Parts: sequence; structure tokens; C-alpha cells
Amino acid sequence: MSMNVQPDIEFIKDMKEAGGDTLKKCFQCATCSVVCPLSTDENPFPRQQMIYSQWGLKDKLIGDPNTLLCHHCGDCTTHCPRGAKPGDVMGAIRAYAYKFYGWPAPLANLASSGKNLPLLVAIPALVVFLVWLISGANVLSHEDFLHAGYTNFFGEGYMTIFGFKLLTWNVTFINSIMIPTAALAAFASFKGVTALWKKMSDNTGVGEALYRPSVPQFVKEFLWPSLVEIVQHERFKKCETNEERIRGHQPLMWAFIALFFVTIYSLISQDVLGRFIPSLHGPMAMWNPVKIVANVAAVAMIVGIVILWKNRNQMVEDNQGGNTFYDWFLIWMIAGVGVTGLGAEVLRLIGVVKLGYLVYYLHLLGYLVYYLHLVSVMMLFLYMPYTKFAHLIYRTCAMTFERYRDSAYVKNPVK
Amino acid sequence: MSDATKTGAVLVVGGGISGLTAALEAAEVGNDVYIIEKNPYFGGRVAQLNQYFPKLCPPTCGLEINFKRVKNNRKIRPYTMTTVKSVSGGPGNYEVELETAPRYVNSNCTACGDCAEVCTDEIDNAFNFGMNKTKAIYLPHEMAFPRRYVLDIDSCSPDSLEAIRGACKYNAIDTEMATETFTLNVSSIVWATGWNPYDRTKLENLKPESSPAIISNMMMERMAAPNGPTGGKIVRPGDDKEIESIAFVQCAGSRDENHLEYCSYICCMATFKQMTYVCERYPDAKIYVFYIDLRTPGKYEHFREQLRTYENAEFIKGKVADIIAEDDGGVTVVAEDAVGGGKVQQKVDMCVLATGMQPALGEQGKSLGLNMDNNGFVVSEPDKGMIAAGCAKSASDVYTSTQSATAAALKAIQNAQ
Repeated sequence: MSMNVQPDIEFIKDMKEAGGDTLKKCFQCATCSVVCPLSTDENPFPRQQMIYSQWGLKDKLIGDPNTLLCHHCGDCTTHCPRGAKPGDVMGAIRAYAYKFYGWPAPLANLASSGKNLPLLVAIPALVVFLVWLISGANVLSHEDFLHAGYTNFFGEGYMTIFGFKLLTWNVTFINSIMIPTAALAAFASFKGVTALWKKMSDNTGVGEALYRPSVPQFVKEFLWPSLVEIVQHERFKKCETNEERIRGHQPLMWAFIALFFVTIYSLISQDVLGRFIPSLHGPMAMWNPVKIVANVAAVAMIVGIVILWKNRNQMVEDNQGGNTFYDWFLIWMIAGVGVTGLGAEVLRLIGVVKLGYLVYYLHLLGYLVYYLHLVSVMMLFLYMPYTKFAHLIYRTCAMTFERYRDSAYVKNPVK
Repeated sequence: MSDATKTGAVLVVGGGISGLTAALEAAEVGNDVYIIEKNPYFGGRVAQLNQYFPKLCPPTCGLEINFKRVKNNRKIRPYTMTTVKSVSGGPGNYEVELETAPRYVNSNCTACGDCAEVCTDEIDNAFNFGMNKTKAIYLPHEMAFPRRYVLDIDSCSPDSLEAIRGACKYNAIDTEMATETFTLNVSSIVWATGWNPYDRTKLENLKPESSPAIISNMMMERMAAPNGPTGGKIVRPGDDKEIESIAFVQCAGSRDENHLEYCSYICCMATFKQMTYVCERYPDAKIYVFYIDLRTPGKYEHFREQLRTYENAEFIKGKVADIIAEDDGGVTVVAEDAVGGGKVQQKVDMCVLATGMQPALGEQGKSLGLNMDNNGFVVSEPDKGMIAAGCAKSASDVYTSTQSATAAALKAIQNAQ
């Protein structure tokens, strides 16, 4: 039987744009698969992914868990005898896969190219600005700023229906931006992960498994151990070259987890309980344990991202990793969220301290920084499923799949 | 006769198979030839081999006749332990400054060996890549030409030196010898500076120093050679175990941007040849060859076919990128089988790194005014009378080297006229 391989030019172009332009240099010596600390005996990578890329077999690549299991330490690139940079190619395949699974496709395409950066910033900037205008373009006085902070950014008072207080205007408007954005990201993630799982199952024949685990079994045996592994950075640590990156990634990850809970807490205390206990409104006191957690997390986030930023620079300098938009965009977004978030808070606190005449303009600067904070948070949510941030869902999915693939459900132990 | 006086002299740098060939070709048509060699003996890398292509002859086969031709040809002046210090002048009239290191043994030496018998100091045997020791006064190898001992004076104790002097019946030991410099005027220069085995310690991921079971292909040649450190036995260095399994690691340093960018041309053939050494000695030994591609140009293809079907041999397409030293003295080589899929972890008694050829001249070539390519090979400039031959020109086998040496001789004498 003859096979007609149709190289997908678009795929190759995408790969080049995402930093995989060296893939054609590979001559399949397989040094990479051996030096890779994550590659296993049964499923070695990235040698196979290199030849699939050369042949344009994108179908095999986007359903290949191994591309997602790679943590891009760059050992393969360092040892590659041809300068084919397998590490960068793997990154490019991932970037392509995120785009491929991204829904809606136009948004996924938009978020995957550096050329669109102005638009990528403009969309959330415009949305937040418009909502602010609709909310009444409220600019607080200096005195109110000291008292309310940014909690009246989208206006004061309550939205009421038949005299029944529902939510504050501020919360209503923030929710009107962030909830649809988060919902879109969640739906896109769900769609993407389902499609990836199906593709991986089809490619490896896992779909034909005789018995399937129940949902609790699945969570207990496959998903939970993967999450534990991720949180403990077990696999990341196997890449010894990544030591410095782990030092950045770990605080960053914990910062995200902590801030997630802080946000939930704040949602409940301010938006739900706050309706009945008005004193819960406004900025939390600095001694509030939740506030302390939030502040520690904010610092951890900035420290983490600074380490990762420096490390990325070093990787580029040492030729271990490419200088791609895909890699940088996530770093910029997170740095943006961290700096504007902490910046807004610091400006508010400075506002409390009497600093003379200048202080009367501080609240305006604070408002601007807070606005940028909202923009960057929205960016992070909105583009999560299509940018490097998507590793959060897809790599987790691949790690879970790997466990499932190697389990007795799929590998018949009797055979 | 009158023609001969008009002919300018040729300097051949390097006394291996290429240099000898070029020198003889140029001298036998009537040119004055100086041939210099850095080592205390002629014959170069070929002298170190057990057998060599194309006919798997022992090196005596080709070298002996060449030595005889050199000895009998009054047009050739051979200098050992001699290197080029500088080249000045221009095409047709180069002034070359040379330096001869002291041998401390003069031409009275008959190679009787009495001196070595009384010498109590030992040094690493460089000819055998340090796999055994030799006395501090030694004949470089059995077939050494010139057949004269060399004294490593720095490694000799005063007592030993005294004993050596006393033992020599021919008054051949001259500890007063000093480095000599001299100048030659020549029309053209043939650079036949040859190659060195690539320094395997640079192959960090293969950890070549982690186990004595990891040897290079040139060490394998020495072991297989009857005049080698083991008298022709192939045994594991360190514990002298007779081997039951062996792995050949191809492209160890070659075709690699981080080491030697080019294909060293000979390593695939060397491995096939060394497989025959193993087959002869251990018919039951398992042989594993890890490769990227097997390159056996021209008629060597038949040789490959023969060995590819050898029942105890397994060929794995995948470069070894990790070697783990095992407690029992063996090693485990790790590669990905690019055809079958999956990683291969093969435990073997011994592992041969098919290290490539590195041009021996290296950086020095540039300071001598030579045109060098990025890999350190000499690019011939026939118009200037600077001609490269053999492995100084490109990685090649003996057969190709002698061809290029003959061509170089022709260019050299054309320029000398």
C-alpha cells in the first residue's frame, strides 16, 4: 500500500513562526530522545516528533501527549548535533496545538501571533474602558479614594430591583466583564481538552479499551495524581537544567492558587455577605489574614515572573530556547497583572500617607493603574486557552492521559 | 642531470602514509625532497593500525616498502622529531625554519635494546594510547623507522640515566643533545600533517572516563595488533575480561556541530573492520552497532553487506547519547531505536567509540600562513606551492590519501620547476 504524504504548508509556516524554523536540519540521530530526562523507554521523544514535523503530519502531532509532556528544558537543543533545536520545535508544536484546539478559531488565531499584539491589548482595553464609560465614568475625589479605594471604580451604590439591593454597581460591572470572559475561557478549555483527549485516544488506540473507569475512579487514579505531581513540580524537577525556572514557576503557581482563593473569598465577603454587612465593603484591612495572603501572593507572583523573565532571556542567550512571541506573551501578561495589581495597591496606600500637594493627583494615577490591572487580568483570562497559558489545561490533560494510557484499563494485563 | 639542478626542492610536512607517498613520488622523478615528521618514527597513523583498507593488510605491508624506498633514495632527506616553526618568503622560494627536538640517542644506535633492559623508569606508551607502559628509553614500535631508540630524559632518574649510558655498547646515548633549529629553502610545501583521533573526553554525555570499558576505535586497533599492548588479544582494559558482547558507537564526535561538524569518512568502515577482529577472536560474542547512517562508499558496500548479515551482529539506527558504567565492569549504552521505536538500553562488556578524525595541524596552520577551512583542514593553494595531502586536506581513508598525496606531489613539482 502506498501512502501519499501531503505536507501541510500552512502547518510548516506556523511552526516556523512559533520558533520551529530549524526542524528541517534534523537528521534523526535520536540523541535528543536519550538526553531528554523526561522521555521514557516506551515512549521516547522528541526524535519522532521531529520527523513527523518534517513530514507535516500535524494530525499525529496534535494528538501526541509526548509533545505536551515536554517541559522545554533545552537539553535536547544543547546536545543536538545539527542545531535543529528539538526543544523549540516541541514548543512550536504546542503553540500550534493550542491554536488548533482553540475555540472560537478567530480568537485563537488572533492570540497566537505577535503581529496581533496591538489588537490583543486593544480589545480588553476598549472593553474595560467602554464599560467604565457606561457605568458613568466615575472618578472619585481624593477623599473618597482614601476611603473606598478602587471599590467604586464602576460607580457607587447598589443595583436594585424593586427596592431589593442586588449587587453594588461596581461588582455588577466587573462581573459583566470578567464572568463572560472566564466563562468563555472555561468553555473553550473544556472543548479543547475534550478534543485533545479524543485525538490522543484515537491516535494511540486507547478509545478501544474494554472497560472504562467511572468518573470518581478516573479522578482518583489519573487526574488527582497528575495534579499532585504538577503542584509538587515532580516532573519539572527531573529536568535538572530547569532548576532556575522551577524557582520562578513554583512561587508563581502558588501565587495563582492563593489569589484564586482570595478572589473567591473576596467575592463571597464583599459581594454576598457585604450586602448585609456594609462594613465588609471597601479595601480589606492590611492585618486581615486574607489580605496578608493576597499580598504575599502578589509579591510571590512578581518574584516568580522576574525569575522566569530572566531565565527566558538566559535561555535565548544560551541558544537553549527560541525568542518567540509564544514564550514571551505569557510572561508579559503575568508581569502586567502582577505589576499593575501591586502598583495599584501601593498607590492607594501612599494615598493614605499625607504627602503634601502631590498626593491629590495620586488617586488619578491609581485609577489608571487599576484600569490597566483590569485590562491585564482580562487579557490573561481571555487568551488563556490559546496562548502558552493553555499549558495549564493541556499539559494536565496529557499527564492524566499518560497515566490512563499506561494503566490496566488500556494495557490489558492478561494479554 | 641538468634538469635536476634546475628543480627546486619540495618540503613534505608529515611522515605518514600521505607524506611518504608524496615525498617518494616527488623524489622518484628527480626532485630534492625534505620530509619531516613530528614523531620519532615515520608511518603515522597507519603504523598504529592492525589492518587497513582496502585489502585489510597489516601496516607492514605498505609501510615497509615505502621505508625501503625512502632509505634507498638519496634525493629524500628524512627528519624525525622535527616541526615547522615558521614559513617566510614566497611561492618558488620559501624559507622554512624548522626545529628538531633532541632524541638523546645518536645514529650509533643499533636498536639492540640493552639500554631499555637496564632502564628502571617507565612512561605511558603513547603509541598504544597509554594502554600500557614502556621504558623511558624505547623503540617507538617494532617496525619503527628510523630504527633508533628515543630517550625521554625528563622521566629518567639520574641513576637510571647512568645505567643506560653504561649499558650502551655503541656510545649512542648523548644527553647533551639540544633542540636544533635549521632553515630550508624550498619551492613548494606539501602539508601532510594528518589527523588525531578526536579527544573522546570532550564527549561529555558519553562519560568516556567513567569506565575503562569505554575505548576508542584507535585503541581497539592497537589491542588487535599483534605488536599492541595485549599482543593482539581483545580484552577489556582494566580487568582483561574476554568479551562476550561489544557495542560500537558510531559518529562519536563526528557529524556534530558541537564537536566535528563533518563526517570523518572512515569510522563506519573501521567499525566493520573491527567487527571482523571480534568475530575472529570470539565467534560467539554479540556485536551491537549503533549508527545514524552507515556510510560505506564505493566498493566497500560489499564489505558492509557481508557484515550486516552476520548472525551475531545487531544494527540499531540511533546514536548512543548516554553510557552508564556498571558495577561488573561493563557498560550500558542507551539509544533510541529510530526504526523500531522505543529506547534501547544495551548492557555490554565493552564499548568502542568510533571517534572521528581531527586535523592535526589545527590552529598552527593559520599562523604559518595557510589557507584553512572552518574545520581546520588545509585548503590547497597550488599556485602558491602550498598543497594539502591526505587527512590534512579532508577526512579520508588510506586509499584516497595516497591518491591525494600523488596529486599533491605533482602540483608540488610543477611549482618547483
